[in-house]
Amino acid sequence: MAEVKIDNLNKSFGSVEVLRDIDLTIADGSFVVLVGPSGCGKSTLLRTIAGLETVSGGEIRIGDKKVNDLAPAAREIAMVFQSYALYPHMDVYGNMAFGLKFAGTPKAEIDRRVGEAARILKLEALMKRRPRELSGGQRQRVAIGRAIVREPKVFLFDEPLSNLDAALRVNTRIEIAKLHKMLKATIVYVTHDQVEAMTLADKIVVMNKGRIEQAGKPLDLYYKPANMFVAGFIGSPAMNFIEGEIGEVTEKGYSVRLADATSVNFTGNGVRQGHKVTLGVRPEHLAVGGTGDLKLEGRIDIVERLGETGYAHVSTGSGKPIIAEVRGGETGEPGQAVTLTATLGHTHLFDEAGQRIG
Amino acid sequence: MAEGTAARGSDVIGTSRASHALMLLFFLGPAVAIYTLFSIYPLIATIVLSTFDEGQGGVRSFVGLDNFRTLLFDPLWSKPFWNALLNNCLFFLIHMLVQNPIGIALAALLSLPRLPFRTGYRTLIFMPTMLSVVIIGFIWQLILSPLWGISKGFLNFFGLGSLFAPWLGQEESALVTLSLISVWQFVGMPMILIYTALLAIPDDLTDAATVDGLNQIRTFFYVKLPLILPTIGLVSILTFVGNFNAFDLIYAVKGALAGPNFASDIMGTLFYRTFFGYQLQVGDPAMGSAVATLMFIIILIGVMIYLFVIQRRIQRYSF
Amino acid sequence: MRRKLGPLAVHLVLGAYTLLAIFPILLVLYNSFKSRKAIFGSPLALPGPESFSLIGYQKVFADSAVPLYYFNSISVTVTTIFITLLIGAMAAWALTEYRFRWNTLLGIYLAIGIMVPIRLGSVSILRLVADMNLVNTRTALILVYTAQSLPLAIFILSEFIAQIPKDLREAARCDGVSEYTIFFRIILPLIRPAMATVAVFTMIPIWNDLWFPLLLSPGGGKQTITLGIQQFIGQYVTDWNAVLAALSVAIIPVLILYALFSRQLIRGLTSGAVK
Repeated sequence: MAEVKIDNLNKSFGSVEVLRDIDLTIADGSFVVLVGPSGCGKSTLLRTIAGLETVSGGEIRIGDKKVNDLAPAAREIAMVFQSYALYPHMDVYGNMAFGLKFAGTPKAEIDRRVGEAARILKLEALMKRRPRELSGGQRQRVAIGRAIVREPKVFLFDEPLSNLDAALRVNTRIEIAKLHKMLKATIVYVTHDQVEAMTLADKIVVMNKGRIEQAGKPLDLYYKPANMFVAGFIGSPAMNFIEGEIGEVTEKGYSVRLADATSVNFTGNGVRQGHKVTLGVRPEHLAVGGTGDLKLEGRIDIVERLGETGYAHVSTGSGKPIIAEVRGGETGEPGQAVTLTATLGHTHLFDEAGQRIG
Repeated sequence: MAEGTAARGSDVIGTSRASHALMLLFFLGPAVAIYTLFSIYPLIATIVLSTFDEGQGGVRSFVGLDNFRTLLFDPLWSKPFWNALLNNCLFFLIHMLVQNPIGIALAALLSLPRLPFRTGYRTLIFMPTMLSVVIIGFIWQLILSPLWGISKGFLNFFGLGSLFAPWLGQEESALVTLSLISVWQFVGMPMILIYTALLAIPDDLTDAATVDGLNQIRTFFYVKLPLILPTIGLVSILTFVGNFNAFDLIYAVKGALAGPNFASDIMGTLFYRTFFGYQLQVGDPAMGSAVATLMFIIILIGVMIYLFVIQRRIQRYSF
Repeated sequence: MRRKLGPLAVHLVLGAYTLLAIFPILLVLYNSFKSRKAIFGSPLALPGPESFSLIGYQKVFADSAVPLYYFNSISVTVTTIFITLLIGAMAAWALTEYRFRWNTLLGIYLAIGIMVPIRLGSVSILRLVADMNLVNTRTALILVYTAQSLPLAIFILSEFIAQIPKDLREAARCDGVSEYTIFFRIILPLIRPAMATVAVFTMIPIWNDLWFPLLLSPGGGKQTITLGIQQFIGQYVTDWNAVLAALSVAIIPVLILYALFSRQLIRGLTSGAVK
């Protein structure tokens, strides 16, 4: 296994810039997830690491080797594709052994590696089957098996769970997490699903429009998002955003006047009166009733009940309805007037440019 | 025709059986009539005719398989027949060995990602296929003609001038030359068909092969080629049917006698000559029908083999 | 890093073959505008002011009825396409839409014609045409070519019609519209793309065909352009100017058509083969 270091990477397709100033270190043995909306460049970044795309500027190092000009096979990487990309005309054994055969690996060694991978992934009974005779989940395991037998320095996963149904996705997610621990592999994993990112990653890299918005441990991104994009992307349902303005500024702190005229007091400085800000608070941190530094009055539009948990959509004076998590026993009927509260520690403040304040 | 949903077609409620039948007649009648009259009936009539002898006065008498026996074994008839059949096989072989591999190679090159001028190449290479076989035949006759000297000059450029010969006029080389002319004209067809099949292969598969360490050439032979075998099978049977039905080129360049000395005679020209007559040979419709029937059987066998053996064996992969 | 085959090599091969493909045609075309001396003296040179000559064309247009042949080819081809499309669409519609006893069988019956070459029945076709007094007529050609084109046309149109949502027809029926109206007013306009494809791959083989014009209408001023050129060249085999001009006369219209419609033409011809 090896560390992957990306320095100042830029990539353009013709005149279109798709990756900008990417600086990223992926520690040896860590599980790094590249996450972001469609078109953010995460797959392109993965492909440049793989060697399937050229770079327009910058450097990629795997281990201690600069790999910019090396072919994918020479970089000692292995890739699991979203569509699995299994060779339809070969059976499972053939699919896994294919690359090794061409590398000149002796048959005994091929057998050993394929057998080992099959054992880990529970594919032994399927070795003679063709891809079309396999279910989606089985095909995916074969695709992973094909990657394992290469004994690569880095594993690259390109949205591997997107084509699976919901239940299978959860199971396979756990399998992949276990695989990571067992192989102690360096994994770079691309997904658009932030749940996968949160549960699997040692480090999450949130990307948007070709740039890295924030990279860090999952809970760091959850509790301290660096900007509104990350704040709104991580966490489901998304964070609530309320427009506001800086009111009085004193030495100790400042107040923020929200659109519905309530005020919240913050400590800290670096702001000026009249600045436009946005206050963010997650649905799970809002309580119905109770006390808190943040108080929002409103009326319930609708409550979506998922069982023990539910989400109340509350119209306040501040524009879009606020979503608050409600637990089973609590009441919540449409039309009901409520007060939503949250502690200061659970609020986030973002400036006009969307960057975090404090 | 249309497969699929459980209920095929629909019943139109509220119309009487008579008017329903009339409507079907209206829609199907003309097509079925013309097709039957000018396609199926003549074919059957030809096969039937092949079992008769028309005699000199046009007197018909049933002779069963005599015509075929004559055609296959009587030296007067069988020599030209077997000559034409073997020539046709050679014609077909050259197409399979030259036209199709070149078509595949061109398709492989055309399907490379991010190739500039791709459409231009495709359009230009396909151009000869558009033109009439007759035209093509004449063009090459001129180019290969020793009188014009273009071919000799061209070979001279490479220092191979001594190789030049009036290939079209020589017995040994006439058929091969004509086959190559035909190949030259029709390479576009397998090229486009296989190109389309190659495009259907998902890029992911090529990427996976690259990650597995295969270069482009190996990717083509070990990944792409197995997946386009069904199309290659299709191309082969189309070549087969087309070749054993061919006529225009030989006739245009060599006339119905398919010279020199019948060296370029194939089934099509034999058929024409037998049935129509030419110069010293009187036309014999019954024998001509026999030739046609044999051609039909040969083509039928080829198609059967394709449908029941090749299509079954070759796996069609859908993506 | 992926490029095992350098782009240069690829273009070299493709370029070389493209040259091989078009050069003979170009050669004929520009030599047809040269004087006899220039044709033999400097065959590869383009026609210049001294070598330019239209003598070949003059002969072609004087001694053969080229405009007439064109007219014949065009009328035969266009009429055949029209009839094929009309009755082919009608048959395809009935086969796809209506359930009746011999539906499947009829479909297979019509499909036979796709694989079996119609030429094999020529002996009987000629007799039939003679019996109907249609020798040396364009009508004979039209009928034969229609029969030849119908199977594939019906097959392709059927597939296309099958994709038209059922709801359209059911709604029309609910409105009390007659089946005939449904076909002519609703279905026919909807299958225009498929008809264009069918027109294309029907057109080329008919235009270029030598066999049936040779058999059925070799004289009487009803020759098609392909046959006409073949006869003309047969006559003037030693007159290179005339031969080159004749070939060019046959080529140029097709090339123009091809230049305008190459994508559709290629797609049409090959989709026909694939089906």
